[in-house]
Amino acid sequence: MTYALDVLQLLLLLAAAPLVRGVVSCLKARLQNRHGASVWRPYSELRKLFSKEDLVPPTASPVFRLAPVVLFAATVAAAAFVPALHGSALLGATGDFILLAYLLALGRFFLILGATDGGSPFGGMGASREALVSTLAEAPLLLGLTAVAIAAHTATIAGMVRWTLAQQFFHLSAVHALAFAALALVAIAETGRVPVDNPATHLELTMIHEAMVLEYSGPSLAWIEWAGAIKLSAMMALLIALFMPWGMPVSFSVAGLVVAPVVFALKMAAVAAGLALLESGMAKLRMYLVPDFLGMACALSILAVVFTAMMR
Amino acid sequence: MGLISLAAAKTLASSAAFLFITVLLMAAAKRTATCIALFSAQCAIITAQILATAYLHHSGEGFLVAILVFAVKVVIIPYALLRVVKGLKTAGEVETSTTPVQSVYITAALIPLAFVVVRPYVRALAVDGQLLAAAVALVLSGAFLMVSRKKALMQVIGLVVLENGIFVAAITTTSGMPLVIEIGIFFDLLIGVLLMGVFVFRIRDTFDHVDVSKLRQLRG
Amino acid sequence: MAHILFNSLLVILLALPAVTLLASPFKALRHLSPALLMIGLVAGAVAAARSLCHPCLIASDLSSITPLPFALALDRLSAYFLLLICVVGAPVALFSFSYVERHYTGRRRDWLWALLPLFLLSMVVVVTASTAFAFLFGWELMTLFSAGLILIDGDDSQRRQKLFTYLLMMHAGAAAVVGAFFMFAPHAAGLDFASIRVAAGLMPAGVRTAVFLLAFIGFGTKAGIVPLHVWLPKAHPIAPSPVSALMSGVMLKTAIYGFVRFGFDFLGTGPAWWGYLVLAAGALSGVLGVLYALAEHDIKRLLAYSSVENIGVIYLGLGAALVFTANHAPGWAALALMGALLHSLNHALFKSLLFLGAGALADATHTLDIEELGGLFNRMRTTGTLLLIACCSIAGLPLFNGFVGEWLTFQSFLGGATLAASAPAIVLPLMAGVLALIGGLAAACFVNLYGVAFLGRPRSVEAGDAVEVPLAMRAGMALLAAACVVIGIAPAIILRPLSAIVQDLIPGASLPEGALSIARFVPWLAAMVIAIMLGVALVRRVTRLTATWACGSPALNSRMQYTSTAFTSPIRKVFAQAYRPDRTLSVEPAEQPYFPASISYHSIRTVHFEQALYRPAVNTIVAAANRLRKLQTGNIQVYLLYMFLALVLLLLFMRLA
Repeated sequence: MTYALDVLQLLLLLAAAPLVRGVVSCLKARLQNRHGASVWRPYSELRKLFSKEDLVPPTASPVFRLAPVVLFAATVAAAAFVPALHGSALLGATGDFILLAYLLALGRFFLILGATDGGSPFGGMGASREALVSTLAEAPLLLGLTAVAIAAHTATIAGMVRWTLAQQFFHLSAVHALAFAALALVAIAETGRVPVDNPATHLELTMIHEAMVLEYSGPSLAWIEWAGAIKLSAMMALLIALFMPWGMPVSFSVAGLVVAPVVFALKMAAVAAGLALLESGMAKLRMYLVPDFLGMACALSILAVVFTAMMR
Repeated sequence: MGLISLAAAKTLASSAAFLFITVLLMAAAKRTATCIALFSAQCAIITAQILATAYLHHSGEGFLVAILVFAVKVVIIPYALLRVVKGLKTAGEVETSTTPVQSVYITAALIPLAFVVVRPYVRALAVDGQLLAAAVALVLSGAFLMVSRKKALMQVIGLVVLENGIFVAAITTTSGMPLVIEIGIFFDLLIGVLLMGVFVFRIRDTFDHVDVSKLRQLRG
Repeated sequence: MAHILFNSLLVILLALPAVTLLASPFKALRHLSPALLMIGLVAGAVAAARSLCHPCLIASDLSSITPLPFALALDRLSAYFLLLICVVGAPVALFSFSYVERHYTGRRRDWLWALLPLFLLSMVVVVTASTAFAFLFGWELMTLFSAGLILIDGDDSQRRQKLFTYLLMMHAGAAAVVGAFFMFAPHAAGLDFASIRVAAGLMPAGVRTAVFLLAFIGFGTKAGIVPLHVWLPKAHPIAPSPVSALMSGVMLKTAIYGFVRFGFDFLGTGPAWWGYLVLAAGALSGVLGVLYALAEHDIKRLLAYSSVENIGVIYLGLGAALVFTANHAPGWAALALMGALLHSLNHALFKSLLFLGAGALADATHTLDIEELGGLFNRMRTTGTLLLIACCSIAGLPLFNGFVGEWLTFQSFLGGATLAASAPAIVLPLMAGVLALIGGLAAACFVNLYGVAFLGRPRSVEAGDAVEVPLAMRAGMALLAAACVVIGIAPAIILRPLSAIVQDLIPGASLPEGALSIARFVPWLAAMVIAIMLGVALVRRVTRLTATWACGSPALNSRMQYTSTAFTSPIRKVFAQAYRPDRTLSVEPAEQPYFPASISYHSIRTVHFEQALYRPAVNTIVAAANRLRKLQTGNIQVYLLYMFLALVLLLLFMRLA
């Protein structure tokens, strides 16, 4: 029974990921006084891409075509760890948050290789910038998750969710506040949103993620775009699950199962609105200011870990 | 009423966390307007703290103090400082002696220091350790702001943050200050800030800049 | 059974030089030496595997014919490291089958096949020794034989200078190790490991600390922790590729073995500051090693610095284990030690694979500079795939073996928060952040290496004309790659014997609950990922070859691609404090700065340890030596005076003592 629910949860995350992206773009457009595209636009884009040809440079190696496959598989596997509807997910084990972070790293490793394989200077530029951002984002990501794990006296994501659910509403400890701030900054860097990277830019010199996928087209590009959307909704769902899980059913009940998707949708909409507000309000940072941004996230996460010992 | 007292208790318990975050963000801020906005956010948190304390200890005075704090520190002083920033035209950027990352790390190191320093007093006075540590952290970070920022206006902001810290410490240890002392401190602060605002314009008119590091040229 | 196999390994390794010399004039017996070497190593691996289940206390005792006690034993820790040596040595020997044939002829070939088994023999003696004499005998021979193997590749003055640095630092380290052993002498009945173990429990704390520090310095020099690492990037690149693989993969692990023996087996529990010292050394080596690796584009120097980084990661695990034993948490200590030991094996596997790959690249393209390579995957498919597996493993990505060791270490850092003392509860979780940073930098370094060397367009004619290497070389690399993948997908194979080993070393250790959950979990994860990949790959798609788009720029050539220097430039800029290169810019002619005839720019990136630490030390020693030289006056009466003074002092000493 739990398995069915967990599989359903994963499929929901996969299917709803483009919608989340569409909602964020729509809200950004409205905030910027434009009409914007409809929220279902990413779906039609994916359908268009799947029906097109895959253009491959003749100098490319099989790694070029392998990269989107590995990226998609790794991102889906990472999404299988995230509890969205109820307190646990399809995959879970002791120390699974480390596995989640490194599965995302696996996908990114192959995407960088695919970018380098294109043989163009833009691929190399995107790859080297992405290497910088992801290197600096690893430490705050793991430290932030470690701080939450230590505060919850457990090493599984499901355990952390259960512990936060057991705390009373509005109880905010310094550890959680700092870890949330750190993980929010890291999530922005990992998913490539403003102020680290502009997902809607058309200027090559301001691109990080877009420059890496410049050579991809057709179904390969569709898998990459979908994987990016899954990563965004997985990180949002993870932040919601760790820091705002109220509304998730703890035990099985029909009422709980009916309410859970509605609550999840509302929370995701709220986070999407916050993201749209942030993206419209801030300008993209210059490349060499991104280390400062991530350094701030690192300081916050180090403080979060230090606080876990000071508040015992 | 049970819900409100629960909310009050939780506000009190969580305000320290928010104060730490404003301290760190102020260390990283690059524009003076951001610093002033963060300062007024800090004072808003302190207002909430005073309201919660007043509710829990059933003191009417506390509500008056809260209103006063809100009016003076959240509205008037930030407004005055923003006026000065707009008037100066060159004070928009915070010029620092340390890079933003270094400032953040130094401020982040001051926070555990505050905790360590406060530990014996927490046991002796039986108060909330986090709030007292937040107070000491505010004092230390205000002092650090004054030391590491070069513009005269930032020195003022550092001073008011420091005063904030003393204020929080007072609230924590005495569970609400007597109103008379409170009013006295406020007027002191108000006059001080207004005078500083005037002086900053005078400095600018005389020297054409407000960079305190250039005061060194006044040496004999 | 294990007994017999082990002794046959020793006999084969000892006899191979003679066999090589005898067989060298006969062309038909060319492959006899390599074949015998492989058979011996396979026998050794089987012996080691059996001993992991049933440790045998005395495998070979030659004390009757040697002047000092010389005995070899296979307890679980020794068996693990013997397994490491043989499991890495056999594929390296298979690789060398063709590599040596293609690159060395005549006397050099014979010397190589004579010295290689002796080098392996010395390492086997070190890890299976059960007396101090045997250990030190093997220790010194390791250095000598590896120096001999380095000299086979040539002895011009630059190589000799680097070799001299290597020998000097190895002997300094050996002196510290000898000192560590001899500090046991007044307290132990004899210098075999059993009596040393007993004596260590009875020694005063000051002596134990001295032993620990000597062992730390001695084994640290051999392992290559910062700041004792300066010999690594000098010695490893100048050796022949199979020898570099063995030096980096296996020889460094003998130092880890020695340190584990001393720190956990002999000395048992110690004060917590030992653990913090080791943690600091590990963190520093890890971060600085990978930062220096990022600045290199000579493959072997890059791999050498990356070895420094991985040794740092192993030391992080060892440091955590020491802190846990000091805080009476043997279960967590066992977990940390497991992580460190597993990472040793993993590093041996993927680092040797990478060095063999470097050898294959040198064979195919005659260059080791990745900025001259590019587009090699299309020309060397098998080598490309195998090195992709190696790069994924060393980057610590899941489903490969590097991740499992790092995961165990992460788990143990998390366990630090359960301790009562607040210092380890803060430091150990923060080390998880350091490990994450090291992992991120390593991933960037190896994505750079692989992307620049194998992907994109070839940057030189040699790279464009590269051909795949012969079967034996590919087979050797494939064996190592297979081991990496197997341990990554089914770690239970190695975790069960490892838990037995750490329970021997740390008494009373029962692993924390759920600590090995990864063993059950990863195979399912791998199945899921592979299933999704197959599903995605099977979605029908039409492919068309068309020129690289690059926003419509026409006529892209290979010079327009990112080079390795360009790729790592943002990271190097952010971490600029670690580099501070020594730069000289000279313009000819100097009096016409705006119309130069030639400009030369020379930059050495990694000198500041040598300038700040070694040069002052060397200058002090040389100055002291110069002052001592004044004793040599050449005057015979002064020499007679020295003898007279010595006599008088001796008489006074005997009178007063």
